[in-house]
Amino acid sequence: MQIDLLYKPSHTLARVVLQPGEGVRAESGAMVGMSPSLALSTDGPMAGGGFFKKLKRAVLSGETFFTNTFTATRAPGEVLLAPPLCGDMCVHDVRPGERLVIQGSNYVASPDTIDVDTQFQGFRRFFSGQSLFFLTAAGRGQVLLNGFGAIEALDIGEPYPDGRGRLIDTAELVLDTGHLVALTEGLDYEVTTVKSGLIASYFSGEGFVLRVRGRGRVYVQTRNREAFGREVGSALPAKQQ
Amino acid sequence: MNVEIEYGPAQSWMRVGLKPGDAIQAEAGAMVRHSPGVEIDTRLNSGRRAGFFRKVLVFLTALLRKLFGGETMFINEFTAPSGGEVVLAPVMSGTIQRRTLREGERLFVQTGSYLASTGDIDTQLRWGGLRALFGGEGLILLECAGNGELFINSYGGITAVDVEGSYIVDTGHIVAFDGALDFKVRAIGGIKATLFSGEGLVCEFNGRGKVYVQSRNFKALVGWVSRYLW
Amino acid sequence: MKFEILDAPDFGCLRVRFDGAGEQLVAEAGAMVSMSSGLKLETKARGGLLAAAKRSVLGGESFFQNSYTSTGAGQEIILASGMEGDLREHALDVGQTLFLTGGNYLAHVGERFTVDTQFGGVKGLFSGTGLFLLRLSGPGTVFFNAYGALHEVDVGPEGYVVDTDHIVGFSDSLRYELRRFNGTKGLFASGEGFVCHFSGQGKLWLQTRSPRSLARFLDPFRPVQQSSSGGSSIADALGD
Repeated sequence: MQIDLLYKPSHTLARVVLQPGEGVRAESGAMVGMSPSLALSTDGPMAGGGFFKKLKRAVLSGETFFTNTFTATRAPGEVLLAPPLCGDMCVHDVRPGERLVIQGSNYVASPDTIDVDTQFQGFRRFFSGQSLFFLTAAGRGQVLLNGFGAIEALDIGEPYPDGRGRLIDTAELVLDTGHLVALTEGLDYEVTTVKSGLIASYFSGEGFVLRVRGRGRVYVQTRNREAFGREVGSALPAKQQ
Repeated sequence: MNVEIEYGPAQSWMRVGLKPGDAIQAEAGAMVRHSPGVEIDTRLNSGRRAGFFRKVLVFLTALLRKLFGGETMFINEFTAPSGGEVVLAPVMSGTIQRRTLREGERLFVQTGSYLASTGDIDTQLRWGGLRALFGGEGLILLECAGNGELFINSYGGITAVDVEGSYIVDTGHIVAFDGALDFKVRAIGGIKATLFSGEGLVCEFNGRGKVYVQSRNFKALVGWVSRYLW
Repeated sequence: MKFEILDAPDFGCLRVRFDGAGEQLVAEAGAMVSMSSGLKLETKARGGLLAAAKRSVLGGESFFQNSYTSTGAGQEIILASGMEGDLREHALDVGQTLFLTGGNYLAHVGERFTVDTQFGGVKGLFSGTGLFLLRLSGPGTVFFNAYGALHEVDVGPEGYVVDTDHIVGFSDSLRYELRRFNGTKGLFASGEGFVCHFSGQGKLWLQTRSPRSLARFLDPFRPVQQSSSGGSSIADALGD
């Protein structure tokens, strides 16, 4: 499976070229175009097989995570994938023994050799009321991620083995959660508000922050999807209850 | 203070390296990430030379605008007693431009385009019409003067237009303009033009000076995506 | 007239400089960024203003255009769409035809250039998918937007399948067939809407982002209609 990222970094399109027998699983709604020869299946909550070990709806947000699988059968083929918002995409190589924690809407695609699990509980109690959910990816292979805006790969503590990131010179990072794309599971993290006190928090305009420590990689997006959603969404015509 | 603007021209953010004693102020909500030694102080952007009454007026305005969903005039000031880094970004995609202001210079900046500033810059709110105060069509401007650096963001790219004579700009596309220009906010034409042309309020500039125009418009985005809602 | 595309490919906008009086450019209503004061503005709508207003009120597609005419040399105008993304210029000779998604049209020049919104056949085929197509014929030049980047596909004998939300335009030499994604009406939504199967030989222009996906993302953030009171209280606003 070969992934080419075109039109970086604002309106990135992923062109996935599949050889006969290869397949790629993509978040539903991601397909832009494809070769007619590709076989297609939809993986819903009733789908059998190894993908969802236990699929559960993300209780707090009511999100249901669906994917579609594109497979090349007798001939090679391509599928073009894109996320819902403007911005970039990047590929993270997952190695055996490692897990990548991904903010749900930042997942785009991965091959069968990657297990994607929706059971991750780590951030749940901090994000009640917000439409955020988290996935983990484990196994071996490439995971295609999207970012709202450009994507910065930030290595904490030590350079990550693929060497593509930027190493920060402190062992700790404070990150606005609206800018979080994904992070590797070995890192220590804690969610807090940026300021103490309700009034200060309300007026500072800053939301929750993640304090990250240890060794690993954090993917950061240069734009805040929740802030964008609120700013544009609040200006839209009202909807019926 | 070292500032680097990265991921331009469309997904720009600014990385600010703070030394002990440095301070940068930014609009509320602009913080992306910072190193642990950075401190944040929230206050009202009433301008550095504001007296008590002006502070109260700005506070009430800010509260009203926050309640009605407009820009707030609260800012966060970042310092790092033992050094650190803070990264700032605007809400919309586009460019960040750095502009140095010196004593005697005046720049009007649309409030949505103000991202951050350093030094001793005085900002005063100006608006084009009462409707503008409540987030409707119109122009809400920050008149900036003093000594320091201004960081201005645009929705889209920025084009500098040299005005010589008379020039019309859709209010939603104004990023900033030289203080020397005359400006007047009005409807584009007669009743038919206003109703059917799809154009909202425009700003007519007269005189000589630069107007900074952005290639996208928040209201036009809202109008465009509204067609796809249900 | 001189044309310059600025800020492409992320925020493409069109800057037109007029050489003398009497030159005309037609553009989508609401697209004006800035212009010299001397330019004359006139609003037209397909089928007349009242017809267009009626279509708009009844939820149909309406299509307002402004025409800008210069009154002297050295005047200019800058035009931009509400969507972010690329902007392209495409010239059509006499007799050459192109299908373009209505929402992606920005402007055109050419007195004999036609923009047809009323043709049957293709329009009927795509109604219900939300795709509003224009049939453009030369001679003249059209300026069109893409939401996101513009991706060109040279469709060959094996054909190509696309999500209709991503169609910008295509040559009139192509054959097309609309289907539901996955071909079935299964119990579980695949998340994809309609797909269009193109075949034959010709060019297909796609945009790398979907306006409907943006609308879906923004929907939870919309204000909710207050059924009884009709306005939100201060308590509501503080509690947001």
